Amino acid sequence: MIETTPYGRMLGIRKIETAQGTSALMLPAAPELEGRQGFLYGGVIASLLELACLAALSRELGDIQRRPKPINLSLDFLRGGLMVDTFAEARIIRLGKRVANADAICWQADREKPIASGRVHLLLD
Amino acid sequence: MDGGADPFERLKNLPARGHHAMLGIYKVTDGADWVELASPFSPDFFIDAERELVSSGPIVSLIDAAAGAAIIARTRQWRPMATLDLRVDYLRGAKAGRALHARATCYHLTSKVAFTRCDVHDGDPADPIAFATASFFFTADP
Repeated sequence: MIETTPYGRMLGIRKIETAQGTSALMLPAAPELEGRQGFLYGGVIASLLELACLAALSRELGDIQRRPKPINLSLDFLRGGLMVDTFAEARIIRLGKRVANADAICWQADREKPIASGRVHLLLD
Repeated sequence: MDGGADPFERLKNLPARGHHAMLGIYKVTDGADWVELASPFSPDFFIDAERELVSSGPIVSLIDAAAGAAIIARTRQWRPMATLDLRVDYLRGAKAGRALHARATCYHLTSKVAFTRCDVHDGDPADPIAFATASFFFTADP
């Protein structure tokens, strides 16, 4: 459902199933997503990681009416992102009554070489 | 000086391209070690149009842009750099219809690393929507 939101559509995000049978987000490369020449914009990578955490939490909650809100985000950039298709997958580390803790990784051609990783706390309304 | 020789003056006058252009990012004001950038509201920023919830995505992208610009404001050099890490506290939701403003300061600089902090608001600096810190490393010598 992230892919059907106005912001998800603006970036061009799609939902995919990984080889492991899990759900992930895919962002096709586009000139509007470029930062410094030849590199995917860092803010876009951060957004994709956040959206992957939101998507993972929505799946876990199973309630599309709920819209958890990010409280904070902490992320590390590990490699420069190139202008190619980019993927992000998140897992829920802990689902509490009020707060959920998620972590996510972002990769491009090789999942074993992530370009970014991060953690997000989300507030459950 | 016409600004042509100063990398920061040159940066300010460059037309936005890539993701900066998509978000409509423009410069509001700047100082010796800080920059304030803004992004006009767009309905494309909604993560939930019905409830008018603005996504954190445009906010984090604006923070990244302002932090990078603040480093150039302070160093007055074009040095290739990469974001090392980014931490954001979302203090409240941004209000629909309001431009996002991010004021970033490069508060410390070493030969290889730049440290920044950034305040984000949607019209009133006294009523912030986010606070962030980000560090960058230079990928080449000056």
